[in-house]
Amino acid sequence: MRVVYALWLRNLKAFVRNKPALIFNLIFPFFFIFVFGEIFRNDFIENPMSYMLAGIIAATVFDSSFRVSSSTIDDMTSGFMKEVLVSPVSRLTVAAGQFISSATIATVQGVIIFGVGFFIGFRITSPFTIILALLAMVFIGLVLAGFGLLIATMTKNTQTFQAVSIAITMPMTFMSGAYIPLSMLPNALRWVGYFNPLTYVVSLFRTITLEKLDVPVAELIAEDLAFEIGRITIGPAQALMILTIVGIAFISLSALAFARVDFSRMNRSKDDYLEI
Amino acid sequence: MQPIISVKNFTKKYGGFTAVDNISFDVEEGSIFAFLGPNGAGKSTTINTLVTIFDKTEGELTIDGKDVSVQKAAVRKAIGVVFQDSTLDKKMTIEENLKMHCVFYKVPKSEVEERIKFVLTLVDLLDVRKKTVAALSGGMKRRVEIARGLIHYPKVLFLDEPTTGLDPQTRAHVWEYVLRLQKEKNITIFLTTHYMDEAEICNKVAVIDHGKIIAHDTPFNLKKQFTKDRAYVTTTNPEKLEKLLVDKSINFIAKEKYHRIDVGDNAALLNILNECGSDITDIEIRKGTLNDVFLEITGREIRQGGGDA
Repeated sequence: MRVVYALWLRNLKAFVRNKPALIFNLIFPFFFIFVFGEIFRNDFIENPMSYMLAGIIAATVFDSSFRVSSSTIDDMTSGFMKEVLVSPVSRLTVAAGQFISSATIATVQGVIIFGVGFFIGFRITSPFTIILALLAMVFIGLVLAGFGLLIATMTKNTQTFQAVSIAITMPMTFMSGAYIPLSMLPNALRWVGYFNPLTYVVSLFRTITLEKLDVPVAELIAEDLAFEIGRITIGPAQALMILTIVGIAFISLSALAFARVDFSRMNRSKDDYLEI
Repeated sequence: MQPIISVKNFTKKYGGFTAVDNISFDVEEGSIFAFLGPNGAGKSTTINTLVTIFDKTEGELTIDGKDVSVQKAAVRKAIGVVFQDSTLDKKMTIEENLKMHCVFYKVPKSEVEERIKFVLTLVDLLDVRKKTVAALSGGMKRRVEIARGLIHYPKVLFLDEPTTGLDPQTRAHVWEYVLRLQKEKNITIFLTTHYMDEAEICNKVAVIDHGKIIAHDTPFNLKKQFTKDRAYVTTTNPEKLEKLLVDKSINFIAKEKYHRIDVGDNAALLNILNECGSDITDIEIRKGTLNDVFLEITGREIRQGGGDA
């Protein structure tokens, strides 16, 4: 426990100390608010500003959690992980420390946008929604931290990781409905979206913050908050289930990969990036 | 005395390449042991296997009676490691690095502050404890690593090329700390180096080349076995000196300005010099160094391997 806490604190400090990245990370989501705000000003959405903000929060939490979790890659290449490795600490404990710090940072970023959102038209009626939204952010953060660590342990090298992470996060974010509603996408891309776990992250988070958990699924479908894929209907409950399964899979796979990865090969030479 | 490190018939292969070939050695508790050899000789492979990072191919390696490939956690607790490349957390301060290390090694919270002070005093870094590691010089970083490797009071401290890349002055300092430590805490020190002069102060030296230990003894014995002391004598009457040397069948080489004489028996040489008396204008005796030992041993090795000479 002491180890998890120490690693958590260390990652938080590292995040705060990297000033340029910190500022960029905090400002960037607002850029999206202005760019994509117009897209959502259409008839089928009841509260466009809240709708869009919810999507941006979900996407930010995803992006942030993924990125922080992948900072592990820097620790591997800088040699710090070697120090961890020859210590008696179990690697699973180290992985747990990484997950929790990623989820924490991601949630804090989500909360900041959430807070600012109230000044630009975000509306909720029940304080209970705030608690639910917080829980959802932590949950999303954890699920995607697992994903980030998995990719990080698989790539082993900063340059490769950067290329891979852009190739993965960009399409995932754009085909999740966070910035552009899925129903506005061409048919083929919409199908890709259905297989994108992030789609359900976004829809679930929106349903929570728009306070529509009690609304019948049929109505949610009209607002892209639930989906009808062939004969299967995926409402908030199903979305939560999918995400739990995906989350458990990501976290256990990445913890396993992290426990097995051979760190001794990571610090060797600069041209190791050719092998993934 | 019971050896603290024991290596028996250790072999490490990477695919078809044998990096370490059936080596055995023991290290006594409280001693300084050096692994000497050129790059790629198998030094780092051995050290990485001992510190539980690599898995052995064959053999039996124990530290403090614990098997390094089975009781990894117990071994890790008993050792401190300073790697060739820095493994410090660069974004954090010296103090934060040490604190983190204490957490990893379960140092009781109440002792952390006291131990940080102790190790930082040892390496003269107490004043800069709040500095970020990234802002430190190479020598300072190395000292932080040594301090960190000690803070959990290990039984054995591994130093993989501790002074490579440091300037001579810093090198001397690092050695001062290492020796201080060995005296104060009776810690066993296992180090690798390719600086021969550094190995001189060790209790035992193992010379490794092409994955094999080709010599293993105290620096004194190694020099005795593989090198000769030589006297460089300048005389105004070379004929007389040469005649005396030939009479006593002492090997020598006559150079333009001096005679290089192999010193086997000190008394015999003194007698000769005595007879020459005031003819002798200059005399210098050079002791063999570990450098000579290394050249002597590996030189032979290269000739055997290459077959050209």
